[in-house]
Amino acid sequence: MKRFIDKMKNQKDRRYFFTLLGGKFLGLAVLLTAYQLGKAMFGGTNAWGDEVAAPVAAAAATAVAAIPGYVNPINTGWVLLGAFLVFGMQAGFTMLEAGFCRERETVNVLVECMFDTCVCGLLHWAFGFAFMFGEGNAFIGWHLPGDPTKSLIFMKDVELFSTYGGTGIPIFAHYLFQFAFADCASTICSGAMVGRTLFVGDVLYSIGVSGIIYPLFGHWCWGPDGFLATMGSQGHFLSSLGMNFHDFAGSTVVHSIGGWVAIAGAIMLGPRIGRKFKRDGGEPMVPHNLTIAVIGALILWFGWYGFNPCSTLSMMDNVGVARVAMNTTLAACTGGLAAIFWIYFRTKKWDVISIINGSLAGLVAITCPCYWVSGLGAMIIGVVAGVLVVLATDLLEHFRIDDPVGAWPVHAVCGIWGTVSLGLFASGQYSAAGSSPTGVPIIVANSADALSGLFYGGGMKVLTAQCIGSFIVCTATFLSAMAMFAALNAIGILRVSKEGELSGFDIDQHGMAVYSHD
Amino acid sequence: MKKIEAIIRPENLEVLKAHLEGVGYPGLMVTEIRGHGKQGGVIHQFRGNEYKSFFLSKMKVEIVVADAQVQKLVDAISEVCKSGTVGDGKIFVLPVDNAFRIRTGESGDTAVS
Repeated sequence: MKRFIDKMKNQKDRRYFFTLLGGKFLGLAVLLTAYQLGKAMFGGTNAWGDEVAAPVAAAAATAVAAIPGYVNPINTGWVLLGAFLVFGMQAGFTMLEAGFCRERETVNVLVECMFDTCVCGLLHWAFGFAFMFGEGNAFIGWHLPGDPTKSLIFMKDVELFSTYGGTGIPIFAHYLFQFAFADCASTICSGAMVGRTLFVGDVLYSIGVSGIIYPLFGHWCWGPDGFLATMGSQGHFLSSLGMNFHDFAGSTVVHSIGGWVAIAGAIMLGPRIGRKFKRDGGEPMVPHNLTIAVIGALILWFGWYGFNPCSTLSMMDNVGVARVAMNTTLAACTGGLAAIFWIYFRTKKWDVISIINGSLAGLVAITCPCYWVSGLGAMIIGVVAGVLVVLATDLLEHFRIDDPVGAWPVHAVCGIWGTVSLGLFASGQYSAAGSSPTGVPIIVANSADALSGLFYGGGMKVLTAQCIGSFIVCTATFLSAMAMFAALNAIGILRVSKEGELSGFDIDQHGMAVYSHD
Repeated sequence: MKKIEAIIRPENLEVLKAHLEGVGYPGLMVTEIRGHGKQGGVIHQFRGNEYKSFFLSKMKVEIVVADAQVQKLVDAISEVCKSGTVGDGKIFVLPVDNAFRIRTGESGDTAVS
């Protein structure tokens, strides 16, 4: 103590002491602030393990007493299986893109696919899911459906037994399933932008697509109060139309959005250096690993069995699930064959790229109508998609747009076709509302509750609604994507420098080559 | 001393090596190359569009031998690699100033026998 008092008489030591003391108080203040912030962000009204959980549990128990206790767990298991399968499609997308690009740009593709998966998972949790599936207004959502006091932003007010709307699926399981879909959309974009995008630009547009473009426009189609989902009914958008927009698993929401962002990016970036187009007498830039590309396509097809059938969100609708899985398969088969035969009649050669893009095109196209069409309808939808993808690829080549994997022909063009085809091929036998957690509602064929397309005597209503919805989403996507890319381009962070691209794109951006040759 | 550079079809490499073992050669070097001759490549197709590919895969086999062995080896290579169809390849014979065996320090014809 005496030594301390002596030290305090010295001015320098006094200053040192008070500085240290001030620093300690500052640290304490930072800790307290962080604690308050953390509580505000993650606290919510009912934290896990609260004693308050008991009455909540009792209330939930009485609510689910109405349906058998096995229903929700089984349906949740089904949705989670779908989440895992659709997430597996990331491996498929990565392989497809890596196989289609040249060896010198492969590392960039690999890193970009992983990076956008990680970013999308977080953004979708933070506010993507809230914007897209929360209730709010016709354009954007933010709170739990049916309860304006419970915010979904940062999953703030999600309670122990919070389920999504009437589905009986826990919010977190639904988030996982929808994150996998969002991840698909954001990965599709990167396909057309391979080989010349600066990684910083990659990251930023990834954030833009996962955080804003996809959830916002997705909300319009799939949100509880989205204006396209509620279109045609009393008090909503185009109430005289009498029909809302349907998209069972996302031909428009996932694939069209992804495809149109992709083409906007490809247009803004320009082609890879050295890419000469067919009309100028140029040679193509051939894929560097077709093996990986084809395996990627097969993994995508496999993952699609989670994408479409699990979108019923209900295993209790086992009849619907089976029908969706069958339709998915039939469209993929006919799509692939249609494309490869079309090319064969043109060049007398059997083209591997046509058959995989054709199958993927069939899968994209059937994604919207799969619940509501017959097997024959699915097959025809697939054939048209297979031919469309070939023609659309030619169109891009003609307009000198460099799309290395064919993201726009497969996802945007066939996404539009699939969406519109519902208006033609909806067979009039299946519920317009889709599945229910307890099973399919009984539908009298061609009744008002069934979805009936033009070829089945349903008139133009469904077709009109589908065309309107597709047009609105595609236009909005393309314009906002062009604006986003124009902004990135203006700052100069969209396209890699010419020296960087010529010196070896992977070396320039990532400092490594994809295959070591030692 | 001469260096024999033979541009041959890749699938003939194993057959050629087996045949040369019977004839006798000091050693050989193999490089994978791409190129084309008078025909200017072949027609490929990509996504339904045809294009001419000027770069066909070939193997370059290089053997350095004494002058006396040159004709024997050229005949052996021609015999194995001749199929009569376009793309069989070419053989070039180049002069070599000198050769050294690193292990023993020999030079001249003894280094390549």
